[in-house]
Amino acid sequence: MLFSVGLIYYCIIYTGYISTLDWDGASPLQENVGADNFARMLQDHVFWASLWHTLVFFIVTFTVQVALGLVFACLLHSRLYLRTLYKVLIFIPVVLATATTAPVFRQIFAPDGNLNDVLRAVGLGGLAQPWFAHGTIALLIVMSVQIWQSTGVVFVLYYAAISHIEPEILEAARIDGAGDLRILSSIIWPGVRGTTIAIAILTAIGSLKTFDIPFLITGGGPSYATEFLGTMIYRVSVSLSQVGYGAALSVVLLVLAVGAAIVINAGGRRRGGADV
Amino acid sequence: MFETRRIRSKVLLQILLTILVIPFVFPLVAMVQGSLAGSGWGNYRTVLSLPLLPGFFLNSALLAAAVIVIVLICTMTAAFGFSKLHIRGKEIYFWALLAALTLPEVVLLAPLFATVTRIGAYNTLWAVILPVAALQVPFTTLLARNFVDGIPNELLEAARVDGASVARSFWHVILPLTRPIMAAVVVLVFINAWNNFLLPLLFLQTPEHQTVTLVPSFFVGQYNNDQTKVLAAAVLTGLPVVVAYILLQRFFERGLAAGALK
Repeated sequence: MLFSVGLIYYCIIYTGYISTLDWDGASPLQENVGADNFARMLQDHVFWASLWHTLVFFIVTFTVQVALGLVFACLLHSRLYLRTLYKVLIFIPVVLATATTAPVFRQIFAPDGNLNDVLRAVGLGGLAQPWFAHGTIALLIVMSVQIWQSTGVVFVLYYAAISHIEPEILEAARIDGAGDLRILSSIIWPGVRGTTIAIAILTAIGSLKTFDIPFLITGGGPSYATEFLGTMIYRVSVSLSQVGYGAALSVVLLVLAVGAAIVINAGGRRRGGADV
Repeated sequence: MFETRRIRSKVLLQILLTILVIPFVFPLVAMVQGSLAGSGWGNYRTVLSLPLLPGFFLNSALLAAAVIVIVLICTMTAAFGFSKLHIRGKEIYFWALLAALTLPEVVLLAPLFATVTRIGAYNTLWAVILPVAALQVPFTTLLARNFVDGIPNELLEAARVDGASVARSFWHVILPLTRPIMAAVVVLVFINAWNNFLLPLLFLQTPEHQTVTLVPSFFVGQYNNDQTKVLAAAVLTGLPVVVAYILLQRFFERGLAAGALK
């Protein structure tokens, strides 16, 4: 009894320790300058830009991932060949570290990289360009890498959710003459709403946490076009050694993350209640 | 799910699926292809002949093993306690733990850095092991608690009637029954620990202490951005997780799904 309870409390205290400790570690620096760091943040256009990127990033990646993941999940629940192979292929990007895949993406989108090769091969050489040079395109690249990496998770979640829908319902709908799209929109989509909300929370927190991909692939550039809160905190507190300002940014990030989770969860519940 | 009784629709769906999968495979193919460009397998030979390489792998393996042990002990005892023991205010503790799920690791940079240097753990594996483990515990506890909740209380009562202490019933009743979720936890934690990039980047300064996720960046510095060697190194570092995933596919997907659905 003492042994296990002790360990449980050790875990709680340890996690709590880590999470309080960072405040203690940061607060002396913060208190010295009062709210100056926060005031500075409000005037920092890079801060607003990175918030804006995070929002765009969230909306785009969420939409695409949900659409792709759901389609994959439905397709792989159909009777098609080589389903396990497809599943593995979709999921491999999830298990690979960003640090491992980043060099590939840098190469694919490089001026003499694979993408431009493919474009030239299919006769669209005019479209070939140095992809990272344009701010918007660089942001698109960061988003596509994120989508590439996490659609597998979304897919697995939807796949599991769909297997909980009873086959009888689907058969009944079929007999009533519902087509594939009708079944998708009227039975499956409402049936997996809980999963969609969970994915929304995961993606929202994930967008706020985004660090590896922009850091490794674009380095936040060109001229801050792919700066996110995560990379900004790193740049400010490690590269520029302004730990106080970095900590202030971290506080904002943490508040946003918790806030996003609460808002999405509450919103999802309320809508769920109204529907039922 | 979709209508596949007619050959035509079946073929169409199969084609659609294949087209959708191509973008997912393309980078992987480009990666392997790129790593073989130039001097072919010679790239791999160069990378493998690097004397520091076994060290990188050993560090990552140590890191992953230590994190798995810590997380597993914390998770299983915590899940047991939260689910089956009567502890005052345990739900409050549970929510406090869940709040930590939203904690981005980049937020912890400055404070962790201060702590790590103060306790003298800077540039040792411990500086990475402890935070990585701590950041995993909330999620795995959530997973395991849901699972332990599904074990009937009667089993524990029966054990108690037979004179088993709490520790004994944890060891002989709960642990054997939770093997599936433990496997899922081990796989998840392994992949996360192996793939962690930010903390090793920050806390491990000398190559002797670094982990495999830093290998590509190491090669960028070492070989002056020789893409083919960087890619060969990337393939090698990615290989263990891919193999682990393919071998343990079922546990992995089940673990993920169980966590988010409940």
